[in-house]
Amino acid sequence: MRTNPFITGFTALAALAFGGTAHAYPEFQKYVSQKSGRTVNCAMCHMHSDGPEGAAPGQIGHLTMGEQAELGRARAAFEPHANVKSPILNAFGNHIINSLGKKQFLEMRVTPSELANKLPKDSDLDVDGITDVDEYLTGTHPLIKSDGRPWLLFKVNLAANLGQIVLMLAATVLGLWGLHHLLHGFDVATRLQDNDEESG
Amino acid sequence: MNLKETLHNTEKFLAERMPVEKMNYASMVQKKEVPVHGLAWGYYMGGLAMFFFMVQIATGLMLLFYYQPTVSDAHASVEFITDQIPAGALVRNVHAWASSLMIGSVLIHLLTAFAMKAFEKPRELTWVTGVLLLGITFGFGFTGYLLPWHQIAVNATKIGLQTIEEIGGYLPGQMAEWPRLAKEIIQGEASVGQATLSRFFSLHVIILPLAIFGVLGFHLVSVQLHGMSKGIDAKPRRLEKFFPTFLLKDLRVWGIAFMVLFILGACLPFESLFAYPLFEPFDPKGSTPDGIKPEWYFFWVYYPLELLPLWVILVGSTLLAGVLLATPWIFKNTNRQSLRLIAIAAGIYLIIMTLFGENIYHLFKG
Repeated sequence: MRTNPFITGFTALAALAFGGTAHAYPEFQKYVSQKSGRTVNCAMCHMHSDGPEGAAPGQIGHLTMGEQAELGRARAAFEPHANVKSPILNAFGNHIINSLGKKQFLEMRVTPSELANKLPKDSDLDVDGITDVDEYLTGTHPLIKSDGRPWLLFKVNLAANLGQIVLMLAATVLGLWGLHHLLHGFDVATRLQDNDEESG
Repeated sequence: MNLKETLHNTEKFLAERMPVEKMNYASMVQKKEVPVHGLAWGYYMGGLAMFFFMVQIATGLMLLFYYQPTVSDAHASVEFITDQIPAGALVRNVHAWASSLMIGSVLIHLLTAFAMKAFEKPRELTWVTGVLLLGITFGFGFTGYLLPWHQIAVNATKIGLQTIEEIGGYLPGQMAEWPRLAKEIIQGEASVGQATLSRFFSLHVIILPLAIFGVLGFHLVSVQLHGMSKGIDAKPRRLEKFFPTFLLKDLRVWGIAFMVLFILGACLPFESLFAYPLFEPFDPKGSTPDGIKPEWYFFWVYYPLELLPLWVILVGSTLLAGVLLATPWIFKNTNRQSLRLIAIAAGIYLIIMTLFGENIYHLFKG
């Protein structure tokens, strides 16, 4: 039977708060999956897609002494704005802990929708034009620029690239206009040559 | 029939299909005319497919400068292209969109050519090479899908190769071993790994391009030698000159296609159509994520494969391939109205399986 990597990830996030004691918080995974209808995994908040337990890069068994000290500081960040950088969390995971503190985060396990209400509304870590809160609600990755609701991404990118699109449109229209005249020129020249040959 | 007669008939057949005496500017360009009628839009589909193919060559060559075909670096090099190289994301996205648009154009071209009876004598070989081009295009799609080495790429390829091996169960005697051998040759090692990636990369950037250049060359020369097919049973409204009238219209269609492609490439990442965990680098020790499936252009065969026994799909696919290749002879005496109905039915099937294949699968499998 396959294990759900998202549950493993949130278990480890909880373990951060309780000094190594693992607790499962499937509420967040259930909430995001149900709300978005998409498959998500631990890589939404963690360095590794299977969560922090293990010896792969981004997991606890792979940490150096310095990183373990960093992890210790992150584990003690119960209040917001502690400015920690846990080596097993990605930028979004650290953003959650730094914005809310672990105490508030753990309290939200009964109302996972609150995470979207409590996170800073204007933060957009991957600068794709869709806020982290919206990405959390739609089950897309807050750190991958190319991941987002397609229609939202299209609108945002269209507005951002409108200048280039207009220039490209102008270049295409002018190029076609030039080709039109060039090919007509060839046609006329060929016909004139044929007429000359017939009359000559 | 003796050997001399056979050779004579073959020579006659080829001479009618490849009239080399027409290989001059006057016949291929100057005097060439294109019928104008209700289905004339179908004449643009082949050129459109070729336009997207040219885009694929241009963007593919650009990607080749940075792409690393190794299991350790393939995914990282794709991320590097997307995140670090100026316009890398645009080039990669245009490559992804153009591949889908090319396959879409090729499929529509096939259906419209069928509906217009463009395979009629002396265009049989034009049709057969067109079917071969369709197969090569699908080959490009299948081999290109693996190259980014992410979860969906590797797992979908595994499923595809596994299906090849399963065919052996339906073959008699020694033939039962052939699919397994074919799978091993394609895969190159016990599981999908470095050897597979190297082989798919070689196929995608060397072998298939060489094949397509050869077949496409024949196809294009053949189209120019025979001109556009009549297309309809009735008399066309009028005939327009290929050069420059039709060519200019064709170029305008290319211009529109280019703008659509540029806007899609700049504004809508192809990856956004999939769930993000599928685009993580492949982890051989990790669990298989949900949602593994082939590219959309294989849905018409993938979802029936999931629902029906393999032998049904095998018989169906073999029949389809045979019918497609032998179309000029099977439908020699079929009128265009009937052909149009068959083409419409095939088109509806392709659209339904592509858009609703997953829903149909869940409807039957729960």
